[in-house]
Amino acid sequence: MTNIPRRRTDLNARLVQDEVVVLDRKADQVHQLNQTASFIWERCDGRSTPRDIAEQLVEAFEVDPDTAATSVTAALQQFTRLGLLESSRK
Amino acid sequence: MHTVTLRTVGRTIRIDCEEPATRALVTATYGHMQAERAAIDLHYTVGRDAGGFFIERDGRERRAAPDDGTFLARFDEDFAIEVQKLRPELFFVHAAVLTLSDSAFMLVTESGGGKSTLCWALSHQGYRYLSDELGPIDLDLLDVHPFTRALMMKTTPPRSFYPIPAATLRSSRGWHVAAEDLPGGVGAGPTRLTAIFFLRRNPAASAPSARPIRAAEAAARLYANSLNQLAHRGDGLDAAIRITTGAACFELVTTPDLPAASSLLTTTLKGIPRDQT
Repeated sequence: MTNIPRRRTDLNARLVQDEVVVLDRKADQVHQLNQTASFIWERCDGRSTPRDIAEQLVEAFEVDPDTAATSVTAALQQFTRLGLLESSRK
Repeated sequence: MHTVTLRTVGRTIRIDCEEPATRALVTATYGHMQAERAAIDLHYTVGRDAGGFFIERDGRERRAAPDDGTFLARFDEDFAIEVQKLRPELFFVHAAVLTLSDSAFMLVTESGGGKSTLCWALSHQGYRYLSDELGPIDLDLLDVHPFTRALMMKTTPPRSFYPIPAATLRSSRGWHVAAEDLPGGVGAGPTRLTAIFFLRRNPAASAPSARPIRAAEAAARLYANSLNQLAHRGDGLDAAIRITTGAACFELVTTPDLPAASSLLTTTLKGIPRDQT
C-alpha cells in the first residue's frame, strides 16, 4: 500500500510567480511554499504517489533521484505536520 | 456638547464630546481629519462619567475606559473596525504609510514591532505621513488612502534620536504626535503604493539590513497583517497577492540605530526600478 497525498479541498491556494501561497482558514494560518515545495504541492492531487512526484521532480529540476525522493518526503512530512493534506491509500 | 466632525477614506464621522477634556483628547489624536459638518456615516458620543471615560456608538452599549490612554486605544479600535465596514471594498492593512512625491510605501509588522518609531524617524527625512496604523488600499488603483490619526509611540525613540516635541499629548499608553506636527508634513491624498517593507527587529544585529522578498512570501506576510480579509474574494488572499505583485517588497531588519535604518530604507527605495514605481 502506498500513501497517496491529497491536498485538503477546503484550503485556498494560489500560485504566485512559481510559488504557492496557502490559506488555511480553519487553522487561521497562511503558508508560503518555496518553488520545490510548490511543485510537490501541485501534484498532491490524490492520484500521484510520492514516487510519481519524485520522478517528475527529477525531470523538472534536473536533480538526481535520491535528492528528489528526499525532497518529496520532507515536503510531504511538512505538509502533514501543518495539516494541509488529506490522505488516501491504494 | 462639543462636536468634532472627521472625514477619512471618504466618509464622515461625527463625535459628540460631552465635556472639554474628552474633546481635547479626540482633537489631539484625530484633529488632522477634521472636516466641515456633512451628512454623517458614523456617530459617536464620548465623555466622562463616574467610571472614567466612555465611548458610545449609535445603537451600541457604552464602553468604559478607566484612563485616557485606554480610552484612546478603545476608541481607535472601534473606529478602525467601523471605518472598514464603511469601505469594505478597500483592503485594510495594519501598517504605517509614508509618501515621497507621488509614491507611497508601507511599514508592516505586528504591534510593538517598531513601525511607528521608524515612521517618526522617517518623517524627519522628508517623507510625508499618511498613517501609522491603517493602510486602506484601493485594489484597482493600488492607492493607499490617508488615515492621519496621531502617530502613537509607546516608548520614546532609542538613544534620544528624534526627540518628541514637548507639547505632544502623553497618555497612559504613550505619546500621540499630532499628524500636523510631523516634520515631513502630511501626504495630500490617496497615493500609489510602490513598496512594502516588512520590519523585523533585531537589536543584536550589527547594522540594519534589507533584502527583497518574493511576492508569495510578501503576500503571506501581508495577509497576516491585514484586517478585513473576509470582505474580499478568496478570503482576501487574492487581494494580498494583487498588492504584493504590484509593489516592490522587502524585509527590513532594524536595530536601535534609527538613522541607519532610515538611510537604508531610502537607499532601497532609490534602487527600485522605475517601471516598478
